[in-house]
Amino acid sequence: MPMAMMKRLSVLVCAWWLLGTTPAGAQQVDVEEVVLDNGMTVLLLPRPGDPNVSAGWVAKVGSVYERPGITGVAHLFEHMMFKGTSTIGTVNIEQDLQLIAQLDQVKAQMRVEEAALLEAHRLGRIEDPADPSLRTPEHASLIERFDALLAEQSELIIKEDFSRLYSGQGASGMNAGTSYDYTIYFVNVPANKLELWFWMESDRLLNPVFREFYSEREVVHEERRLRTDSTPTGKFQEQFDSLFWQSSPYGWPVVGWPSDLEGITREEALSFFGLYYAPNNLTAALVGDFDPAEARALAERYFGRLSRSDQLPPQPRTREVPQLGEKRMTAYAETNPQVSIRYHSVPDGHVDEPPLVMLGQLLNGRTGRLYRALVEEQQVATGASGGQSGMKFEGMFSLGGTAKDGRTPEEVEQALYAEIERLKTEPVPERELQKVKNQNAASNFRGLRSNYGLMNQLLVREAWRGWETINSDQALYDAVTAEDIMRVANTYFEPENRAVAVYYREESDEPPDPRLAGLDDQERQQVTQVLAMVEQATPEQLGQLAAQIEQMSGQAPEENQDMIATLREIVQEKLAADGGAR
Amino acid sequence: MTGRDRWTHRAAALGVGLLLAVPTAAQIPSHPTDLIYQLLDFTPPQAVDHRHELSNGVVVYVVEDHELPLASVSVQVRTGSYLDPADKIGLASLTGSQMRAGGTATIGATEFDEQAAFLAAQIGSFIGGTSGGANLGCLTKDLEVCLDLFFDMLRNPGFDEGRLALAKSQSIQGMERRNDATRSIEGREFGRLMRGTSHFSTTQRTRASVEAITRDDLIAFHRRYFHPGNFIFTVSGDVDTTAILAELERRLDGWEVGSESVPPVPAPDFTPEPGLYLVDKPDVNQGRVALGHLGITRDDPDRYKVLVMNDILGGGGFSARLLTRVRSDEGLAYSASSSFRAGTYYPGLFQAGFQSRSETVARATAIVLEEIGRMRTELVEDEELRNSIGYFVETFSRSFSSAAATAGLFAGDEFTGRDPAYLATYRDNIASVTAEEVLDVAKRYLDPEKLVIFVVGNLEAILAGDPERPEFSLEALSPGGVSRIPLPDPFTMEYPSP
Repeated sequence: MPMAMMKRLSVLVCAWWLLGTTPAGAQQVDVEEVVLDNGMTVLLLPRPGDPNVSAGWVAKVGSVYERPGITGVAHLFEHMMFKGTSTIGTVNIEQDLQLIAQLDQVKAQMRVEEAALLEAHRLGRIEDPADPSLRTPEHASLIERFDALLAEQSELIIKEDFSRLYSGQGASGMNAGTSYDYTIYFVNVPANKLELWFWMESDRLLNPVFREFYSEREVVHEERRLRTDSTPTGKFQEQFDSLFWQSSPYGWPVVGWPSDLEGITREEALSFFGLYYAPNNLTAALVGDFDPAEARALAERYFGRLSRSDQLPPQPRTREVPQLGEKRMTAYAETNPQVSIRYHSVPDGHVDEPPLVMLGQLLNGRTGRLYRALVEEQQVATGASGGQSGMKFEGMFSLGGTAKDGRTPEEVEQALYAEIERLKTEPVPERELQKVKNQNAASNFRGLRSNYGLMNQLLVREAWRGWETINSDQALYDAVTAEDIMRVANTYFEPENRAVAVYYREESDEPPDPRLAGLDDQERQQVTQVLAMVEQATPEQLGQLAAQIEQMSGQAPEENQDMIATLREIVQEKLAADGGAR
Repeated sequence: MTGRDRWTHRAAALGVGLLLAVPTAAQIPSHPTDLIYQLLDFTPPQAVDHRHELSNGVVVYVVEDHELPLASVSVQVRTGSYLDPADKIGLASLTGSQMRAGGTATIGATEFDEQAAFLAAQIGSFIGGTSGGANLGCLTKDLEVCLDLFFDMLRNPGFDEGRLALAKSQSIQGMERRNDATRSIEGREFGRLMRGTSHFSTTQRTRASVEAITRDDLIAFHRRYFHPGNFIFTVSGDVDTTAILAELERRLDGWEVGSESVPPVPAPDFTPEPGLYLVDKPDVNQGRVALGHLGITRDDPDRYKVLVMNDILGGGGFSARLLTRVRSDEGLAYSASSSFRAGTYYPGLFQAGFQSRSETVARATAIVLEEIGRMRTELVEDEELRNSIGYFVETFSRSFSSAAATAGLFAGDEFTGRDPAYLATYRDNIASVTAEEVLDVAKRYLDPEKLVIFVVGNLEAILAGDPERPEFSLEALSPGGVSRIPLPDPFTMEYPSP
């Protein structure tokens, strides 16, 4: 349609953020980067449209910055950031702080008692260290004192004040997510409430008060039960992660180990904040309807109050050791028989990542090699997928498939290997490679549609290699050749470099996936496909997916809203990467 | 300073703020409620400005947006699974999915997929409960060739035998897991308790009903409902209105408008029986609870008051009472919420729900009931009301956050016969809700005596309750009797007699 094209080009020239389109479909997102005196980076991307701004910031810290003993603290800390400040969440800050100090004291005494019970449990003398009947009279009276102080404090607390101050002003979608590499806090504010965002976010960085720490720790533990322990494959996936990563911190779950969730202290969370939430470790991003000059002034006025830290935040030191032999796990779970395979590959931004990503795309989708071969031709699987996941410090390539009735996970496994062998020995036909490049280009445009998706992409990229990669990566993907793909296939897909989990169906009634409820079979299949996609997706793909789902929900008829709600839930959960979002 | 004082202060400040272009002093107020805002200037787009009719009477909504080189075209179709024959439940849904999956009369299924994938086009089709449809998303430069594929699918679906056989076997294999997830069980059983067992919304496909469906059934179902007389089109993105209307005109040319009218969506003929209903799943550590009763329709004059009322009770996420109590006060659940759906064709449901550890299910249920009771006896606080109203009023513009959302909203309203005039008064209608009105609708529309309480989980642990809080008992909370529901055979959906 030539008319439409011309119109678009004329709009392009005066657009605030320019899309320099080439036939290959590369885009230029024209971000203004502001670095404040204290080292905090602020990314500004004004965009015409409805009167709203997607606003967020990222702390360059996630679970891989933790150490044994405090696993889960990055995520727990994210929860604490919603508990208020010296102004928000309390009717009397002086009394509140006094009570918090007293609570900390009593808790320290309680820990001595708890340690004795844990030791007795370790030695097999008692069955349940939480059994109230085993507590000493001193312990019981400490708990009584603790509860009394809590009751006193609850008189001072304004519940969910932080959230209410936002939502009452029309802010929506307030949430946060913790992943291995980063923690993101975001919200959508009406265009006239931009200053509220600066007020709220700078206040919780400047004057945080970590009240209700121990009850929030319980909430997180509950979240762990819901997401990991109560899902049929959740607890096995967690074990598989630990099996796959030998020395790397990617081997512990973002949500943390149960013993750590029961033990992390408020003091430990505070020291974590001091190390990683200094302004020079933070980047904020605004995308939407705002005036950049006003935003710059507000950023300086509000975020400028934060003090730079002299201490550089410690970085994870431990790298994964090379794997010497294949690892296997056999699991019986409430799920259809399936196989999950992982190879150690490369982190985000490695020169071999673009060919590995393209290789993954060749495998996926209805016209991808896995569906064609395993589902349609061999009829060995009901679904199969694969893909590269590059995190900041390490990366992996996953393959997986669910066995068709009457076929075994081992057959699926062998069929997956056969497809990998083909990639090692036969160059990918040109049209097939062009197909995945076209899809890649289109999906990049689609990822720019929503302000939220774009903001999210900028922040995640910033935590990895810098926001500019949103503009520079596309060329790297377009340049991938059939030879590149064959080369990486021969480099990374060796048996001694992989771990394999084989799942057999256990015949009892644990739920396979609580998220598939209330949907008809057709919808379930769609959701299951998205679930498989989501498992493989990178955070920026997830951001795109989230945006697409929002789009769908606007268009879809009422009876599909249940499914869309489920999809939204799945993506939001995964966005928080295995344990993050509130 | 109390919340109320702050608000008064803020309201006064707002009056002053209107006279100033920007806050003059670069000072930081000590509390966010002291911030001064300019009024949000937003006028919603008008449906009539985007509504077009083709020469055959087909309605098309077009919303242009040229920022990215992407275009979307979709069609809503008057059909639905409520039209399934009784012995072929699943026909509508299979017809909807197989339109896209099964190729066309002239392009094989595999080849169709391949062409769409090479163009990076997103093409889909579906039939849900009360409507069907198809959609296309593509790069603008490929729109013409993508429309060829899209209309070929819409008009001449091939319904490939192999693809249909695969879909049927997947559907049957999927039935195996029907009793696995507590959420699946809740969705199905709570629906049956609310809508009865004969309404289309609770009718389940079975192995026999799916096996009975043939390719000829799909062809006939498609032919009966997919014609321009049942279409409403939505176009958005990088398109030119005049050009796209001409395209649609050309592509619909010669496609006869059917004369048979589609029967109306039937309302359920059922009154729920209040009480406590239990399903045993011995090996899960979380109990899942849904409780509710019948609600209102979309045209109910009280709908805005009910919307605000439910938002304060449990709809408003982290700020709502249910989540605040169950999650923050008591640490009993990760999430708890309520919804009060205003039905399009018949009254929707009021429903509250949460998941909690087995031991604390009774205690959390008691809290939810207590909060429902409190809505009916106490005026909500001014601050809660202001926050809720503020939320709805200020997020109104989000409904128009993209060209696709805007076009979809207009087309959806026309499809369901809703006068778009409500959009102009929506914010005023919300803003005028008072605390007295919230109390009044809570008294009239929330009824603890009518509640159906549904619980699925490890019943032994759930009914035993929390040894530290023996005062909470689930059975004592029932507004009626206590019944156990057995799990049905997942392939026949026959329920064993208890």
